Amino acid sequence: MEIIVCKMVAGSNSRPIVCPTGLTWEVRANSPRYHKPRQKKSFLCFRWGRYADNVIRSHKFSPLTFLPLTLYEQFQRVANLYFLLMVVLQSVPVISAIPWYITIIPLAIILSVRGMKDLAIDTARRRSDAAINSRPCDVLVSQSFNKGKWKDLHVGDVLRIHKDQVIPADLLLLCSSEPHSLCYVETADIDGETNLKYRQALSATHSELTSRPSQETLAAFDGVVLCEEPNNRLYVFRGQLHWRGKCLLLENEHILLRGTVLRNTEFAYGLAIYTGADTKIMRNCGKLRVKTTQTERVFNRVVMGIVLSVLLTAVLLAIGAGVFSSWVMSHTGALTPLVVDGNPVYAGFLMFWSYIILLSPAMPIALYISFEVIHSVHSLFINWDLEMYWQPADRPAQARNTSLNEELGQVGYLLSDKTGTLTQNRLLFRQCCIAGEIYGDASVRAEEVEPMDLSWNPFSRGGLFMTAPGLLDKLRGRRCPFSTEFLRALSLCHTVMAEWKEETPVYQAASPDEEALVGAARELGWVFLSRTRDCVAVSELGVTRQYQLLALLDFTSKRRRMSVLVREPEGGLKLYSKGADIVILERLQKDLPYQEAIERALESFAQACLRTLCVAVRSVSEASWEQWSKTLDQSAAMATVDREALLEKLYDQMERELQLIGVTAIEDRLQEGVPETIALLKQAGLKVWVLTGDKKETAVNIGYSCKLLDPETRLVEWQELRQILQSPDPELSFLKARQTELWAVDKQAAGAKTALVLTGPELAEFDQRPEWGATFMSLAERCQSVLCCRVTPGQKADVITLVKKHTSAVTMSVGDGANDVNMIKTAHVGVGIAGVEGSQAVQNADFALSQFRFLQRLLLVHGRWSYRRISLFLLYFLFKTCGFALVHVWFGFFNGFSAQSLYETWFIALYTVFYTAFPVMCLAFFEQDASAESSLKWPELYKTGQRQELSSPLVMSSSLLYAVYTSLVLFFIPFGVYYDTDYDYQTMALTVALAATLTATIEIVLLTRYWTKFNALAVLVSVVLFFLCTRITHGSFLFRKAPQDYYFIGVSDKAFMDPLVWLAALLTTWTAVLPSFTALALRVVLSMHDKHRVHSASRQPVELRAQWRRGAPLRRSSHALSRGGGTGVRSTVPTVEEMVAPPPGSRVNSRVQQ
Amino acid sequence: MAKQAPDFANRPDNTAFTQQRLPAWQPMLSAGIVIPGFVLIGLAFIGIGVALLVTSQSIQVFEMDYTGVGNNHPCFHCSDPKPKPCVCKLNFTIDFFLKGPVFFYYGLSNYFQNYRKYSVSKDDDQLSGNLKNFESPSDTCSPYQRDNNKPIVPCGSIANSMFNDTFKLYQNVNATMKPVNFDGKGIAWWTDYNIKYRNPDTTPLRNAFNNTVKPIFWPVPAYELDPKDPANNGFINQNFLVWMRTAALPDFRKLYARINDPPYAEGLPAGSYMLEIQYNYPVLAFGGTKKVVFSNVSWMGGKNDFLGIAYLVIGTLCVLMSIVMLIVYAKFKFPEED
Repeated sequence: MEIIVCKMVAGSNSRPIVCPTGLTWEVRANSPRYHKPRQKKSFLCFRWGRYADNVIRSHKFSPLTFLPLTLYEQFQRVANLYFLLMVVLQSVPVISAIPWYITIIPLAIILSVRGMKDLAIDTARRRSDAAINSRPCDVLVSQSFNKGKWKDLHVGDVLRIHKDQVIPADLLLLCSSEPHSLCYVETADIDGETNLKYRQALSATHSELTSRPSQETLAAFDGVVLCEEPNNRLYVFRGQLHWRGKCLLLENEHILLRGTVLRNTEFAYGLAIYTGADTKIMRNCGKLRVKTTQTERVFNRVVMGIVLSVLLTAVLLAIGAGVFSSWVMSHTGALTPLVVDGNPVYAGFLMFWSYIILLSPAMPIALYISFEVIHSVHSLFINWDLEMYWQPADRPAQARNTSLNEELGQVGYLLSDKTGTLTQNRLLFRQCCIAGEIYGDASVRAEEVEPMDLSWNPFSRGGLFMTAPGLLDKLRGRRCPFSTEFLRALSLCHTVMAEWKEETPVYQAASPDEEALVGAARELGWVFLSRTRDCVAVSELGVTRQYQLLALLDFTSKRRRMSVLVREPEGGLKLYSKGADIVILERLQKDLPYQEAIERALESFAQACLRTLCVAVRSVSEASWEQWSKTLDQSAAMATVDREALLEKLYDQMERELQLIGVTAIEDRLQEGVPETIALLKQAGLKVWVLTGDKKETAVNIGYSCKLLDPETRLVEWQELRQILQSPDPELSFLKARQTELWAVDKQAAGAKTALVLTGPELAEFDQRPEWGATFMSLAERCQSVLCCRVTPGQKADVITLVKKHTSAVTMSVGDGANDVNMIKTAHVGVGIAGVEGSQAVQNADFALSQFRFLQRLLLVHGRWSYRRISLFLLYFLFKTCGFALVHVWFGFFNGFSAQSLYETWFIALYTVFYTAFPVMCLAFFEQDASAESSLKWPELYKTGQRQELSSPLVMSSSLLYAVYTSLVLFFIPFGVYYDTDYDYQTMALTVALAATLTATIEIVLLTRYWTKFNALAVLVSVVLFFLCTRITHGSFLFRKAPQDYYFIGVSDKAFMDPLVWLAALLTTWTAVLPSFTALALRVVLSMHDKHRVHSASRQPVELRAQWRRGAPLRRSSHALSRGGGTGVRSTVPTVEEMVAPPPGSRVNSRVQQ
Repeated sequence: MAKQAPDFANRPDNTAFTQQRLPAWQPMLSAGIVIPGFVLIGLAFIGIGVALLVTSQSIQVFEMDYTGVGNNHPCFHCSDPKPKPCVCKLNFTIDFFLKGPVFFYYGLSNYFQNYRKYSVSKDDDQLSGNLKNFESPSDTCSPYQRDNNKPIVPCGSIANSMFNDTFKLYQNVNATMKPVNFDGKGIAWWTDYNIKYRNPDTTPLRNAFNNTVKPIFWPVPAYELDPKDPANNGFINQNFLVWMRTAALPDFRKLYARINDPPYAEGLPAGSYMLEIQYNYPVLAFGGTKKVVFSNVSWMGGKNDFLGIAYLVIGTLCVLMSIVMLIVYAKFKFPEED
């Protein structure tokens, strides 16, 4: 340890280090003695130490902390606290208006049910943590690699990673089994890209550590890494390695991130730099947030309002009580028949608490437990839905968070990941055009393509979804030199590596496009066998040919093309190029024979949403090659800034006078039903955004193919957007920018036909200009969609935060990879697609689906139903409990504000549970205002939820107001009837109770539109229960057991025989429900008109689906061969024939939206 | 993706319940149902209202305030709260034949029998004859639980404040006072008389009341409420039962007796009467009034105009509303043709 330091000092003395300082994170290789004391530890709430351990802890309870924590958590719910207070108050005899046992039993049930549920969830989480924490890895301990577990890993450990192993911590790559210590990693879990990326060790560590047997040299490795503090920037790393007196700069390319997978590399050795919570991927994971739904929030606010009004009312009534008792005192001496406390102020004080107890049923205890039961049942319905069951994987939909169901019916923004979510992440070679002739047919679905007979080809592995016997004949008969050249180009012009499995080559490509192209060439007989530094071996219909690789003009996003210059076995020099159409077409020879036909093919491919690449060839003379290569060597040697520009210029010189041979068309396979789903969701008023770590071109292409963007959609990119945002009046300049489009006849349509395209670095600018957020959102709201490309997981979450901040809409994020976890957690509702990219998204999601298209059912059917059911449930609950409890306020005016209850205590206890709960629960379980089919057929119905038509504070307030009205009726009609008569208090109590129960029952009957047998039974049972329980509690049997508790004996016997009681109850009930009846009747009368409108407007969008394939054509070509990041610029200037009026579909849309 | 008889363990059940396809009745309401429905309900209510009102009008009521406010009121001299018993005589004339059976009520106003502390101030166990509660009355009776450390039976505020005016009615037939007989029996609820209130099984009854005291305001102990009739004595004295059944609202009347002894069982003939009141109960202190009411009853009980009028109002409202709806409907049914 000290020796290392001495060496360091000695080294720096002898050769001054010019490294920048300011890096504070220090990691010493192979020195646990240094790191161990600095390990992060915690005891109770004290924390110390620096380096986090590599243990994941997403659970929160331990056996010891469960009880206090769960109680603490539950009593954070105001409602529970409120009920606890009620229990305490009710056990004080002086003020107890209702016996204490009426509240404590339900409260205990609620607390334990809730606690059990939390415990179950936490146990599951603990189990999955344990699985991750005990994953194996090889750790270097005293000169040998021992099997260790992830959780035992520390900073400074040297690890050996095997092929296909997940990397357990952020590592500095020291060396690998491959030449130059290269290694390949798959970063699917981080950015969603499934292509391989390479990482390379420092040449110093590579040469020093691979020369001798690795264990010993690695054990002796004593470098010190100085780098930045842990952060969440996935693509940036700044650090230095101090070793043997030298200071070496470290960059991102030397780092293996936790969560990535080592591919195509036998071994890689790395030094752990960040572990556990310090790793970049963990830093990108948002905190565990408890999600509450908007409806619940609104409702909580309403409940708070109720509590406050109850308090206020209680204060007023208490003042009344004080005044009354002082009046009684002053009028009647000490001996009064009324038992009034001596001190009016004290009497009022006691009455205040009594009234709080008496009015507490206004905020019903049964509500929250019912709420949870309903949520759970709705979640079960989601789990049970066969339409969302994915047979191939035997996986049903899964509602993991059972408290967000109604939120599904209110989603305004759907933010989707691309790779694996919208697309299957499988690229298929579907069509090609060689010398003007089109082979294959993309209109046939890939699964339905009749496979060609490729048995003659020993290297065939399948995976070609194209039928072109004509092409095969030509190739095998060698009748068409163009086809031969085309396939030769495909098999030569790429950067793919071959790996042999079962005697056939499997390709590892940096981009899935290349893999598809080379794979297609293999199937057709032009098999890329292997490559060395300067030689490519290809088997052409069984004949192996060696091509000398002279130059590889690599792809950049700026060039958007790549070329290889090869020497054929026969000796000739050929340049093969492939690239985006615009780039290739402008480099062609003049007057080529098939150019026009190929351009037509390009258009038709683009229309079918295929990714196209042009393939071209050129013969190069020996002389010009020699001259060019000389210049190339010279410029390559120049290590100046202009090198890049110079090289590009040189490349450009070579890639000209090309001869176009054909076009490839690759299908980026969307998941099944994606365009239909997106179109449906758009009709339902959702804004669908795409957030992807992928390149802009790819994202835009997918945008087109999944109908998120129409062919005539105008893309507004950052330059333009920035100008708009910076202009003094962004709205105006946005409109202006739109009006440059000729077809923008009416402004509404123009707004809908615009989409914003942003990239990650551009999004980062929002951090500096927070004032842009609001403007951006107001623009985005008018746009068809927003595409965010090249965004990090953190930025995905930031976008959602932005949306959440500036709109009141509910956001939903959909993703499938670990890179989506953060956004899934941030959004109001997170949906995980259970796909190929591991299960982390699903683990963190609120809902897990197997297919993107299931979203339509989840949102439009389950979501809409849930929203409606839960909103109706809340409104009704509010109504029935408030209407029931507020009666006491009015009664107070006629009983000297004495907190006298107008009900029997048993009625209070049973009313919410037995007499009125079942029908509303059935409503909340089964209600369907429109069937599943109609919900999908008329997606416009979904807008009810987005506009919060059933759950806005206004609606809730009106429900409250109605409750107040009902309570007035419930009290004052019996009051009028019984005033100055010989009817006693108990008869009146029973009359009011009867009327209240009937009112609540009729109200639910009016609300229910979907009468299953359960609904009918529930209504029946409730009414029967009321009469039965009333008779029982009024019976002599119970009275004899406990006269104090059943003092209503005989009331129902007499009252139910009295026609006046029935007539009074009937009148009260009818008057109470009259507003509801009137509203319903008016709605029925008025809806005749409405219904016609919906029907006539909705018929057309159904036809729209048939028209999808008939959009105005727009030629698109995209080149997605990039390895590095980059921002290609897309040209989106529409040609004249595209400037036609929007297709009929869009007009229909706008009419529907009116 | 094995094709041979796949075992899909996670496949949800395909039942009507799990797939939310339960057969259901979806009532389709239309204007053609709603508007006539409203009219029908409105008409039904109007019908009930008319019936109620007609019945109510047919009920004859004769009532008289005897609080004794004003110097020239015969009971004025009694209204001043004095401990000594006071009798006042009230002469009145009934102009019509009050058809029998006639019910005799007393009515109190501004009297809060529904005041919570008052209405719970009794001991149901004691009143059901439980001797244990004779010795130690329930706390709910406080402050009328004990007097001089002896338990009060019946304890509590309600019993203590029992209405204790007594009435005698005479018809003035040719200047002779002919008594109109009635007894206070058959006026209490059956359950109250037979189940809820029970005297202890002790005989004689007074022995059960050893070591207890009578309620402070009472002139006699409970076992002397009706010494002549053991079935109307103690806790099952019917006037006591009527009083214990507390009123709903501060203005109330309570049944005092039914006039069903001949010759007045057929009714009270028109003529002049005299009511002799033993005026004991003070009401002026709390601003209350007292009255007596003679009334006959019908199927709907006593006279009650409110209910009939309320039915008429609501019924009319429904009919009016249906007319409004009809207009709205007509306006919306052919919107294009306007």
